[in-house]
Amino acid sequence: MKCKKVQSLLPLMVGDEIPLAKGSAIKAHLKKCSRCRQEYQSCMLAIEKTKEWLAEDRKDWEENQWQRAVQMAVSEVKPEVSPLAPWPFKKGWAYALMAVLVTALGLLFVIRPSFIQDEMTSSPGKEASNQLQVFQNLAERPEQDTISMTMISRESGLKIVWFLDRNFNLEVKQ
Amino acid sequence: MWMTNEERLVGQVLRGDHSSFELLLRPYRQGLLTMAYRMTGNYEEAREICQEALIKIYRYLHRFKIGHNFKNWVYTITLNSAYDHLRNRRKYEDIVEKQKNVITDSGPDPEKRLLEKEIKKKIKTCLQNLSPKEKAIFQLRDGEGFSIKETAEILGCSSLSVRTHLCRARQKIRAKFEKIYFQKREVIK
Repeated sequence: MKCKKVQSLLPLMVGDEIPLAKGSAIKAHLKKCSRCRQEYQSCMLAIEKTKEWLAEDRKDWEENQWQRAVQMAVSEVKPEVSPLAPWPFKKGWAYALMAVLVTALGLLFVIRPSFIQDEMTSSPGKEASNQLQVFQNLAERPEQDTISMTMISRESGLKIVWFLDRNFNLEVKQ
Repeated sequence: MWMTNEERLVGQVLRGDHSSFELLLRPYRQGLLTMAYRMTGNYEEAREICQEALIKIYRYLHRFKIGHNFKNWVYTITLNSAYDHLRNRRKYEDIVEKQKNVITDSGPDPEKRLLEKEIKKKIKTCLQNLSPKEKAIFQLRDGEGFSIKETAEILGCSSLSVRTHLCRARQKIRAKFEKIYFQKREVIK
């Protein structure tokens, strides 16, 4: 590796942010080249010192300011609550699950397995329409003119058939 | 399904428990304020940014995806608020200058203030040539200790981009640092 290339990568070398293979090549170069080693050390010093200053100059809230800021955030806005909020899985999965359920229900109604069909045939609406059909059939029949009565003797086996008209008058038939 | 403590707190806040919101953000309050301060260089502005970020976090908490890193999400919102603020600041540069003057006059212990002022000056000098993105990356990586991958996630860019910006930021910082450091040494001699 050349000095120019090594020196361009030194800022990353300081924070160990270089891939292992490249890092070991740079380390090997640093062992040999005193100028690059010096560059590395001065780079290290600059970054470490700046980090120290950053650590010393950290800001924090005064407790009452912090509480006020949180209160303001909580009271000023209402969170947009999702119906899926308390569920511990991703929204995408929840929607996918719902889609599967809806598709399954849809298919059930399209295919209509036997248990759904049975239920549909024994439904009260269907029964009512059947009864109505029977009454309609009866109404369409012609009115009855004669009634027959058959009497059979137990002892002799004699059989007498009476025919009665609409007014219950006995009709004589040959 | 396993849930982290933070995810449980998020659930509680979404169910209407306001007190959990403070517990949820307490661990990051210092980091967020420092981050905003580093971006703006002004404490009052940093507080404003954080206030804005807190409101956004509360409003859009339902959008936080369970299983993701809550810390990264919070830092992303704060950084975006800081960027918005910096964009608006250019329009009101004069007002900010006035605010700065008012704030630097306050403080209790004069000796401590002098030391703080000196460190602030050094940091300001070191970071002054950095672009907002370089500042953010340097602060996240070297100030807050995020990994390259986490920094990339917070900023919504690639790890390679983070490395490139970090390298450039450190080079600039080093150049400025040498100026400060060697000036000081010469003065001592």
